[in-house]
Amino acid sequence: MQTVVNDVEIRGVYKQIGKNVILNGIDLQVKQGELLTLLGPSGCGKTSTLNVIAGFLDIDKGEVFIKGKKVTHIPPYKRGLGMVFQTYSLFPHMTVYENLDFGLSLRKVPKEERKKRIEQALELVKMVGLENRYPRQLSGGQRQRVAIARALVVQPMLLLLDEPLSNLDAKLRYELRAEIKRLQKEVGVTTIFVTHDQEEALSLSDRIVVMNKGIIEQVGTPTEIYEHPCTEFVFQFIGKSNQLEGKVKTVDSRMVCIELEEGVQVLVESKNMMGPERSYSIGDEVKLYIRPEKLTIQEQESEPEIFYYNKYNASIVQMNYLGSAWEIELLLFGKRVQVLQPFVKSDWKIGAEVTVGWNPSDMMIVKK
Amino acid sequence: MEPVRYDDRQKIVRLSTEIVTARRKRNWRKYIYCGLLLFPLVAFIFGFFVIPMLYILYLSFIETKGETNAFYSIGNYVHFFTDSYYLHSLWLTIKISLYTVVVSLLLGYPVALTMAKCSPRVRGLLTLLVASPLLISIVVRNFGWYLLLLPNGTVHQLLISLGITTSPPKLLFSEIGVVIGLSNAYLPFMILSVATSLYNIDPSLEKAAAILGAGPLRSFWSVTLPLSLPGIVSGVVLVFSMSMSAYVTPALMGGANVPMLPVVAYDQIINLLRWTYGSAISYVLLGITLIMVTIFTRMMEKGRYREVFR
Repeated sequence: MQTVVNDVEIRGVYKQIGKNVILNGIDLQVKQGELLTLLGPSGCGKTSTLNVIAGFLDIDKGEVFIKGKKVTHIPPYKRGLGMVFQTYSLFPHMTVYENLDFGLSLRKVPKEERKKRIEQALELVKMVGLENRYPRQLSGGQRQRVAIARALVVQPMLLLLDEPLSNLDAKLRYELRAEIKRLQKEVGVTTIFVTHDQEEALSLSDRIVVMNKGIIEQVGTPTEIYEHPCTEFVFQFIGKSNQLEGKVKTVDSRMVCIELEEGVQVLVESKNMMGPERSYSIGDEVKLYIRPEKLTIQEQESEPEIFYYNKYNASIVQMNYLGSAWEIELLLFGKRVQVLQPFVKSDWKIGAEVTVGWNPSDMMIVKK
Repeated sequence: MEPVRYDDRQKIVRLSTEIVTARRKRNWRKYIYCGLLLFPLVAFIFGFFVIPMLYILYLSFIETKGETNAFYSIGNYVHFFTDSYYLHSLWLTIKISLYTVVVSLLLGYPVALTMAKCSPRVRGLLTLLVASPLLISIVVRNFGWYLLLLPNGTVHQLLISLGITTSPPKLLFSEIGVVIGLSNAYLPFMILSVATSLYNIDPSLEKAAAILGAGPLRSFWSVTLPLSLPGIVSGVVLVFSMSMSAYVTPALMGGANVPMLPVVAYDQIINLLRWTYGSAISYVLLGITLIMVTIFTRMMEKGRYREVFR
């Protein structure tokens, strides 16, 4: 077996501030050249984890390795990393050129080479010609580009990005997101990206680490995280979800049959179990989760276009037009359920009776 | 969007002009209110500051000869700039003020830095502590120093018993004593104005410097210090101009050995009853202070770190 080089390795990191446990046993490996995202709600410990890697946060227990070297108690200025902050953090009293030169002059790079590298870095972020501007004279997006160039110009071992897009407006955020992805692949630098924006995480990352309350809930590729969440928290945090409740009626290695109420049964694939306990017995109370876009509405009378194992009657309660799709709210088994449809048919109106169907593989199940 | 019809355009024009006139009316009212609110203070300053200052300026251009002979001239000013005693006094005043600025900056900056770094609760406590000397009258504080700095007083005995020196320098009635007294009096102003500019520095700037490879010293020198320049400048200007015009401390702690200009001017007016010459001295003091402060702030604002002052 080939040994995989881990650029960052964190083992059993524990941090407590006062009575609050900030990080409760974090283990994490970051592979060479990958873009890893730390995702979670505010206060989940994602920024703290980044600060541990950068060296800004002293830890109580655990070890941190960067490129195989133990750096647990080495101060940030000796770690040789690059970092981009939410507030841009450009030195306001220095020009763009001086900002980029700061790290290089500290590394005692010869003057000629410094000039060349600064030019290259500015070219990379498309900011050539603005060398003599002060940060005050730049727009938010331009500032963040310079900040990225400043982090990259020193050729860091790691690039750390702490919510770099959250101070920008929606359009710029979208633009710069693509830019960061392109840059990261072009430079090939191992990158750790912190965000609370799931869309950002899904679109950017090679792998995502979902964190909650100081622990890691799941590590996986964007598709794994979205399609096969390991825990209830991950399912609910990423994307929208509908929740149903029921009791296990039969269970085998392929399918679980759940009775929602008298006479109403749904099928769920056995591999879709979430949570720590994955063995079910008959009579167990469970929660069922399904995403709005996995549900399909069909007209009751017409010939079904696709055959679904789970197919039930429901009535339309509300219809919201979102531009790219319709969000339809249904009353299903007395519960409100959201459905995302790319189109609607003319006779789907509020109050109309329809059939809703879905695949057993699209539904997730967790013990109550 | 629907095209705008002619009538609509008319209406839009009318509407917009209506808004403008309404706003103008409201603005007038606002000015009147503002004027009414400001009137008491403006009247007070005008009556008790502006007019007396103009009167002193007028006096300074009157030269007296004998008992009754008075005429307009710039003789008082000529006298000042040709007499070595007064020029020496002016130089002494500037020198002691500069020493005071340097001492209070060197003592005050670390305190301000501590205040900027600590938690809000500790910061509140420190602010109170720093400002607390201002609650005590400057005369009382000066008498305290007077007792400490007396020949063979507490400080002298301490220096001798610690074996630092056998013949301690003269502290009271010397320039050292005045600088000690003035720095003590004006330190809070320096600390508070430097601290204010330190609070405004984004803490992530130091993080950015650190991650780029700057150790604490380098980060302070290249980032924190330049960014705190506005606070340093305002503190320096404040302490300098207050030291230049200080009377109580030089009079009490310097005595006749340290004739700073305000003391000299007081002497001229109260003891020698030479009102016109005393007035001229006051205006020289005011002019020199203004010129020095202006040159200093201009230099800082046009200098290497001009961007910080924007």
